[in-house]
Amino acid sequence: MRLHLIELTLFATYAELRAERARSYLGVLWWIIEPAMNMAVYYLVFAVILKTSQADYVPFLLVGLALWQWFKSCVSHGGYAIWQQLPLIRQVKVPVQVFPSVQILADTMKFLFILALLLVILWSYGYAPNRAYLALPLVLLVELVFAAGAAYLVSAALPFLPDLRFVIEQVLQVLMFLSGVVFALDNVPQPLRGIFMLNPIAVLIDAGRGILMHGRWPNWGALGIVTLIALAMYALATLLLARLTPRYVKLPT
Amino acid sequence: MNAAPLICLENVGVAFNARVAVGAPRFWALEDVSLTLDRGDRLGVVGRNGAGKSTLLRTLAGIITPDRGRIARAPVTCQLLSLAVGFMPHLSGRDNAILSGLLLGLRRRDIEGRLPAILEFSELGDFFEQPISTYSTGMMARLAFSVALQVEPEVLLIDEILSVGDADFAQKSGAALRARIHGGTTVVFVSHSDRQIREVCDRAVWIEHGRSVMQGGVDEVLKAYHAASRAAAA
Repeated sequence: MRLHLIELTLFATYAELRAERARSYLGVLWWIIEPAMNMAVYYLVFAVILKTSQADYVPFLLVGLALWQWFKSCVSHGGYAIWQQLPLIRQVKVPVQVFPSVQILADTMKFLFILALLLVILWSYGYAPNRAYLALPLVLLVELVFAAGAAYLVSAALPFLPDLRFVIEQVLQVLMFLSGVVFALDNVPQPLRGIFMLNPIAVLIDAGRGILMHGRWPNWGALGIVTLIALAMYALATLLLARLTPRYVKLPT
Repeated sequence: MNAAPLICLENVGVAFNARVAVGAPRFWALEDVSLTLDRGDRLGVVGRNGAGKSTLLRTLAGIITPDRGRIARAPVTCQLLSLAVGFMPHLSGRDNAILSGLLLGLRRRDIEGRLPAILEFSELGDFFEQPISTYSTGMMARLAFSVALQVEPEVLLIDEILSVGDADFAQKSGAALRARIHGGTTVVFVSHSDRQIREVCDRAVWIEHGRSVMQGGVDEVLKAYHAASRAAAA
């Protein structure tokens, strides 16, 4: 049973990526062009127009956006997955968790692509590989668990509250600015800054920049707390999905 | 060995949400259905539109969990004959066959092993490797049916469809499905056609407003059902 679900999830992920590639002229190239255009917009606004006095702004922005976009696409694609697959859920007996999982895996594949490119760019900028790289897989794993937990939660709720669709994009947008993706949180005054750093994504992006740009080990205390939050959210979401499973087929068409 | 029924429903009810809203009213698609299904049974389900026949099939398949009553099932595989499950337009016939097979509960190696049979039965030839968005309606029906036929549940649930496609393929698909039905598989068959119910089934159940009104021999149930329909029309 478990093995079957793993086979189904992996093949459906392959199918999803393959179909996505076939849907456009440039196919896989979009996996790079889209984030690059995104990056160009923020660069234009914050570096050129607002003249952000951030040192190393380009690598700063690149690392932040790469880690952020991964989280964001997991939550928005994964979050829609059950709602979009309701017709299929009415037809076959399949654990609903498969559907957001497929989206999360597909977005993770695309992220790994971006990550490889990011490393090459950083190296050519002179940010050499260093010992702190050893902590990178852990930081990425925690982000994956956190993103999956968030995606499962949204995907579980969305079929019952379709109106969430109009809120999610806005919430993600605000969360992005609160996570120090496009500008540093260093300038935020202290009591507020402590609160900002409770945000798991802010901690993860900070850790990622520390490793990739400064050869700095993560703040283990903060990372530990984020790990606990991520695991708790994942467990809660899995439980919620299991409980709600019988109810999805009873929603109106 | 033959003593315990495969599936047994006792006063089963299924409620759907009328709208997506907190505290929205629910309506009972099935009110009170009781029936037993023994190994080798070929049970026909008759009733008017909206009586709850399709909901009953999906409950038997385990897709829907009852909101009241009891359902007891022996550890058997029980599947609805579903066409084109999970098909994605930009994928090849081969990839869609694998995806659909996995969704219908087959293991990867099982469905891979059946690909030659699917290719042969569907007569798609080189089109098997092409995206199904390039298929004609008839080709699509061929692929969908050939994949569905590869799932061999111990209890086969059929909602109206006995054959698909153009005249030739309708003949071929119908014959294949009838061979399956009469090859000892336990079958539950929903149909509006008396002729098909008589041909396929050896027992029947009559569903009216979500309730099982009568269960018994095909002739006996059809006779009572039509008598009631005529009385209602008069």
